[in-house]
Amino acid sequence: MGLSPFRRAGSLSSHSASPSKAFSGRQSRLKSRTVLFGLMAAIFLFATGCSMDGMSTWDALGPVAEKQLELFNVLLWAMVAVFVLVEGVLLYAIIRYRKRPGQPKPPQIHGNTTLEITLTIIPTILVLGLGIWSVFTLFDLEDPPTTGPDALHVNVTAHQWWFEFEYPDTGSGKHIITANELRIPVDRPITLSLESDDVIHSFWVPKLAGKLDMIPTHVNEMWFQADSDKIDEALPVTLFGQCAELCGLAHALMRFRVTVMDQADFDSWAAAYGPPPANTEQAKAGQQLFQQNCTLCHTIDGPDDPALSASRLSGFLTGGDITPVPAPNLTDLRTRQTLAAGITDLTEAHLREWLRNPEDLKPGNYMSSRAVLYQGGNASLSDQEIDQLVAYLLDIR
Amino acid sequence: MASITAVIPRPTSYAGLWGWITTVDHKRIAVLYGVTAFIFLLIAGAEAGVIRMQLASADNDLIGPGRFNQMFTMHATVMVFMVIMPLSVSFFNFVIPLAIGARDVAFPRLNALSYWIFLFGGILMHMSFVVDQVPDAGWFSYANLTEKPFSVNRGLDYWSISLLVLGTSSVAGALNFVVTIINMRAPGMSMMRMPVFVWMTLITSLLLVLAFPVITVGLIELTMDRNFGTHFFIPAEGGDPVLWQHLFWIFGHPEVYILILPSMGVVSEILPTFSRKPLFGYPFIIFSGIVIGIMGWAVWSHHMFTVGLGPVANSVFTITTMLIAVPTGVKIFNWIGTLWKGALEFTTPMLFALGFVALFIVGGLSGVSHAVSPSDFQQQDTYYIVAHIHYVLFGGSMFGIFAGAYYWYPKITGKMLNETVGKINFWLLFIGMNLTFFPMHFLGMNGMPRRIYTYSAEFGWENLNRIASFGYVVLAIGMLVFMYNVWQSRNSRRVGHDPWDAPGIEWSIASPPPPYNFAEIPQVLGRDHYWIVKENAEAAGTPITEPEALVDPSSIHMPSPSYWPIFTAVGVALIGGGLLSHYALSFVGGVIAFIGVVAWSNEPAAAPPKEHH
Repeated sequence: MGLSPFRRAGSLSSHSASPSKAFSGRQSRLKSRTVLFGLMAAIFLFATGCSMDGMSTWDALGPVAEKQLELFNVLLWAMVAVFVLVEGVLLYAIIRYRKRPGQPKPPQIHGNTTLEITLTIIPTILVLGLGIWSVFTLFDLEDPPTTGPDALHVNVTAHQWWFEFEYPDTGSGKHIITANELRIPVDRPITLSLESDDVIHSFWVPKLAGKLDMIPTHVNEMWFQADSDKIDEALPVTLFGQCAELCGLAHALMRFRVTVMDQADFDSWAAAYGPPPANTEQAKAGQQLFQQNCTLCHTIDGPDDPALSASRLSGFLTGGDITPVPAPNLTDLRTRQTLAAGITDLTEAHLREWLRNPEDLKPGNYMSSRAVLYQGGNASLSDQEIDQLVAYLLDIR
Repeated sequence: MASITAVIPRPTSYAGLWGWITTVDHKRIAVLYGVTAFIFLLIAGAEAGVIRMQLASADNDLIGPGRFNQMFTMHATVMVFMVIMPLSVSFFNFVIPLAIGARDVAFPRLNALSYWIFLFGGILMHMSFVVDQVPDAGWFSYANLTEKPFSVNRGLDYWSISLLVLGTSSVAGALNFVVTIINMRAPGMSMMRMPVFVWMTLITSLLLVLAFPVITVGLIELTMDRNFGTHFFIPAEGGDPVLWQHLFWIFGHPEVYILILPSMGVVSEILPTFSRKPLFGYPFIIFSGIVIGIMGWAVWSHHMFTVGLGPVANSVFTITTMLIAVPTGVKIFNWIGTLWKGALEFTTPMLFALGFVALFIVGGLSGVSHAVSPSDFQQQDTYYIVAHIHYVLFGGSMFGIFAGAYYWYPKITGKMLNETVGKINFWLLFIGMNLTFFPMHFLGMNGMPRRIYTYSAEFGWENLNRIASFGYVVLAIGMLVFMYNVWQSRNSRRVGHDPWDAPGIEWSIASPPPPYNFAEIPQVLGRDHYWIVKENAEAAGTPITEPEALVDPSSIHMPSPSYWPIFTAVGVALIGGGLLSHYALSFVGGVIAFIGVVAWSNEPAAAPPKEHH
């Protein structure tokens, strides 16, 4: 899906062929063959090496990622041109000037000031040009466009090892806190305030924008937008995100999803946000179990209470074997697609597995190390109790 | 004066193990540095092997995340501080005094001290494996992951304290080379006649002297945070984790040039030798080196584009970083200019030097692409960066080091490495290097973050990872071939003093050189001194076939061996070791180091001649 970055940058490829004009005669044929070979090798490598899958940066679906990719594509072709030119000249020198038997001592040239100055000025102009272009792009991307629809604001907080998404106002006045799945309306700028409450993490959805670090006590602001005309599939579409800064044991398993949806679908998701109804016997038993065992860390009845969050955080930072820790808000767990920060599909079987022993799915997580339930390894819950919890959390009727 | 030295005279024997332990001879210290660093190279290379095995397939569970984090942390820390830097220092030690026509470095005992502290610091770092509390926060160990409660075992203490110990070694060594190069050049060797390798050593040493204090500040603050209740980098208590990043990269970026400039110097010696032409644009190569050394201080925040410093800071560092590509490019043009119209001989050192140029171009170009901050937002912390650093550090620094090893081996040992085996060695490393690291550019652009111990098959990263892991096997075989080559050389016949018909002064004396290097300090005639000497001799009809004649060593005043460098180094290492185990041990170490320094300063300059007793 998406547009090929190579096709878009194709008009620049003529740059890479021009250097062969500097040579003449037999050498020019050798030279142009080298250039051709280099280009073919490069094209072959790109064709086999680039992927449009999950985390690919080649598949920009919004204006921010697109501008960043545009700049990279220009750089890429400039790099290919310089590579072919310089490696070509190097290869030419290696072949042309190899020592031949009986060859006299070569001319003892010490340098050429005119050439040196020329070869200093040309790259200086080249890199300054690219540098200035980057500066314009930087300032361009600083803020979302002021025309068009209003931005939707999301506060994102990173935790070891999951993401918390808070919508202070979804438009209908609803305050939502959820985890590991960011739902966004299509064609609307999303502004994000990024922070961390433990160590440094980095927020990255390659198809929407480059990354920005999430640093405790620093709030970083970014924005992106998903454009419907760049998305080939029918909405909703799910994109991948992942933490990009080493943040401890489960860094590799700190992933998330971004679901791009129509404004109407987004509104109905927001309207439906609320605790699981618990309207079967099984679920009611699960609800009771949840209240007894899980609420020290997890909230399930709407947005987290800030005072409660603060006490969980201070418990976590103080350490100790069994303390409350910040944990994902589970109010809308039943509407999510994935489990344990985007590492596996949310199915009944996976949730059971997770509740039995979270360490199997996600080594290092704090649920297994800090919760009383798991102090002996596996959960001190019977299979029946786990079934009841699953029925409650996933609203199985 | 009644001092310890009255009881313990300077050792006189140069033989056996004791001779190596007490040596102050720069050539022997060079060998010690080289062998030690090569052993660390094997350890760090094995760690890379574990990483590549774990990543060879999706959802692999060969090792868990804890072990994986230790592997990449130690791989990079060891490669940077205990392999590339000391291998460069090994060449500084062997080559610099010979190349400037001196009999030793300015401070021979300080030189020995630098080596022993390096050895003990390296051992201290690896003690973390013995107690199984291995550093695991990456080679730049970003705060506040390095702080309690996120890093509760002593791994990061091993990391920071060992680096502090290693830092003293680097600074002492660097000061020694600055003084040596400024003061001990033979008559006739003006600054602008110095070989490029000497110039690059000077610039590298100045960078080291200036850069290490910055990381030292950071490391002391980290150690105090972790052990003595300060909170420089702890946000919950008012500290700032971003401060660590600034301190680390203000050191870290000059450090990058510390790692690459020596190899640039090596290549600038080898290309002219095997092109039979003087270096093209010598002053431009020197000045570009100086410019890199200065501009290297103004680009550190390009490692921090995604920290959120704002568009103004990012713009400034984008431009400065783009500009530093220019002096680097100047060097490449001049190397190619050196080949131009030459008579190229493809010996193994020449192949490695050409490999250096070819691979460094790739690393330099990818460097430009993440100098551009908006594009770097996508590449930062991905395998694209991993590809870049390995093109400059493996394709660059290590290829330069291999070139130097093949080039100076006959001077160091008097024996040649086998050329055929050497060429196999080169091609295995060249192909292996590209197989391992080229696919990583794509992995990064396809979104694979670095430092993840596992990845899901749905991201489509598996095939490229397989190629990279296969490339590692080729690289490992290449390393074995190098070791075989060194091992088999023990049986090869001795070579003459000047097997490459080289221009450097070091080739005018015997191989291996006598302890005093030059019987008579040469009068330097020009940039390519020995070429000029040989040409003049030929013109006079008496071509040179023999090295400078050996003389009775006792007729030349050389510093005697000394016990005190290793003694003092033991004290310094114990100070560090005590901080990691029991503070009393630090006190003991401090006392030992103090005694060592006092005894050192009271030691006579040489052992008293035997007939006086």
